[in-house]
Amino acid sequence: MSGGEGNHWYPVALLSDLTQPRRTQLLGAPITVGLKDGAGWVNDAAYHALPTVERFGHLWTSPGNPNRDLFTIPEAESPGRRLVDVGSVRVKCSPLRAVENFLDIAHFPFVHTDILGAEPHTEVERYHVEIREGIDEVWATKVRFFQPQAAKSAEGGIITEYMYRVPAPTCAVLYKTCPPRPGEWDIITLFVQPLTEEWCEVWPWMALYDDDATMAELVSFQQLIFMQDRSILENQIPRKLPLDPGMEVPTQADMTSIAYRRWLKKIRYTYGAQLVAA
Amino acid sequence: MILSWPAPYRFEGLGARVLDWIAVALLEDLPAGQVVPRRVHDVDLAVWRSAAGEVQAWGDRCPHRGMRLSHGFVRKDKLACIYHGWQYDLDGACDYIPAHPDLTPPKTICAQRHDCSTQDGLIWVALEATDSTVPETGDRVPVRSLDVAVSAADVAAMLGLDLAPVLPVDGPFDIALAVQPSGPSHCLVHAVAGSGADPKTVSRHLEDLRNEWEAAA
Amino acid sequence: MILYDYVLSASCYKVRLMAALLGVPLELRAVNFHPEREHKSAQMLSLNPAGTLPILQDGKLILTESTEMLRHLTADRPQWRGPDAVWLDYATGLNASLGLARLHDILGYQADIDAVRRAGVAQLRRLEAHLAERRFDGQIFLTSTHPTIDDIACFPNTALAPDGGVSIDVYPSIRLWMRAIRSLPGFIEMPGIHRLHELEVPA
Repeated sequence: MSGGEGNHWYPVALLSDLTQPRRTQLLGAPITVGLKDGAGWVNDAAYHALPTVERFGHLWTSPGNPNRDLFTIPEAESPGRRLVDVGSVRVKCSPLRAVENFLDIAHFPFVHTDILGAEPHTEVERYHVEIREGIDEVWATKVRFFQPQAAKSAEGGIITEYMYRVPAPTCAVLYKTCPPRPGEWDIITLFVQPLTEEWCEVWPWMALYDDDATMAELVSFQQLIFMQDRSILENQIPRKLPLDPGMEVPTQADMTSIAYRRWLKKIRYTYGAQLVAA
Repeated sequence: MILSWPAPYRFEGLGARVLDWIAVALLEDLPAGQVVPRRVHDVDLAVWRSAAGEVQAWGDRCPHRGMRLSHGFVRKDKLACIYHGWQYDLDGACDYIPAHPDLTPPKTICAQRHDCSTQDGLIWVALEATDSTVPETGDRVPVRSLDVAVSAADVAAMLGLDLAPVLPVDGPFDIALAVQPSGPSHCLVHAVAGSGADPKTVSRHLEDLRNEWEAAA
Repeated sequence: MILYDYVLSASCYKVRLMAALLGVPLELRAVNFHPEREHKSAQMLSLNPAGTLPILQDGKLILTESTEMLRHLTADRPQWRGPDAVWLDYATGLNASLGLARLHDILGYQADIDAVRRAGVAQLRRLEAHLAERRFDGQIFLTSTHPTIDDIACFPNTALAPDGGVSIDVYPSIRLWMRAIRSLPGFIEMPGIHRLHELEVPA
């Protein structure tokens, strides 16, 4: 390990799908994950127990000594929401590339065509980005984009408003206009388990207001969206996320990504990052 | 507004190269308005043709977020990246960013272009600038391209030849192979044959040759 | 007709694509294949004891093999039928190679991945050789002057091969054949197979 990545929390299993012990890996090291008496456990290769937290339907662990608690999403606990276990998808890319893509809206018309975006509605208006002091999180607010079918519950095109939050280096939370309940936010997350620096297991999870769709439809919608992203993520060069500003060309639409990269440098999180031009 | 100004991306670690000009495709396998990926030595290229048929060979990487341009799409005389739709003109310069439709992108945002040429029904690429002329394939016509799980140098050696852009093959049909080194242990061979030969027969003969090379490697 | 469907399944997509090209409406019932394994639930097993997807229900008829579904959908469309089952059998064989490699790489299924990918490469070479010979005769589709169920059966696992770590970059005739299928009126996409954006005209 190159830096402080060992001291963060990572998702390693979906609690509802942990009927059998699961052998996986975290930050390049093998771990085993299971349930005993209804509680999740995680062992490293030497059968030492690692710390655990059960939250957002997932089991979380850390190979080191986390210096802060796993973040919370208080809004997700409000009554009436449906909690959607989307499962996991493996991707051959840096965990940081997966998070950065999740923070990006400009790709919607081309990668999620006719669902999250469509030509000619490609313009990204200026929005607000900050690294919030104290809580040390990246936030993007007042993000607006035209969407043909923003959610399973959306009918027809609407201007969707978003807020993005990066509460941990490999996790991102999206708060999104909720078509059936104006004034509330749907919550869509991306929790990334770094298998290695260039290979990850991605666990999307959602807390939605939607009384109509079946659970299978909600899961399918999110898997569809993420698998469209996967075909991008496996074809970016280099696989790691470049933190050297000379390697890639951001524009104003990429302000969230710029802040994310800057924040990763600030907290010295370099696992899955490329520091100098190859 | 562009927030930083990088140099065009350069592929590093090119290693020793024997060939100036390398065939990368049969022209008829790349119709106008399409793009294909090609690995030449250790360089990934996006080879594409404008709607008018002009051939281009670029480094397979969009400078914006590193996405392979070979996954993109051609509109008129521009290649667009599939990720965010950035469009590049025939000079390799980005001239349209859909997220900022009113912005004129600075000329510094550009794809890496390589020299390319078409001759004898083949598309040829020079990874580095060269004064040499595009190799001749003689009085032969293109048949088909085949991938071979053997290095180009080893294929040449099995034919009793030093590696060269065009390798004549002893035997029937007056076959020659325009060879494209592709990674350490693969190549593509772009086969041409005497103009009277039946292409299906030549194609099956080429499959037999490939089987022999791969079995011997 | 009701299709019990999983959005990421190549076999389900095969049926959705066929129906879309024919203009036949399907009532889709999403099944939570992953992570819930709903296809193994009692309700789904009562429809299909084999516990596989897709399942096509047309009145009292229940079909559980995608090739049979393509035949059923084209029962009164003889122009969509090929001369024999050679390429339909080939398409079924792709499930154990390219299809399994994909499930391994995406969902972590157990597989002897190197052997599975090698088998996929051998199959792709066979397809490429056949399509190259078709092109010598001025044809682009597998068995006829126009697309048949053979093309539709072979298309999904071939086009999705990169999902399982198998490149299709080196097969020019396969690329042109896939392009011809993606250009058909009514074509629909799935994740990993994007539409031809060049056909879109931005306003």
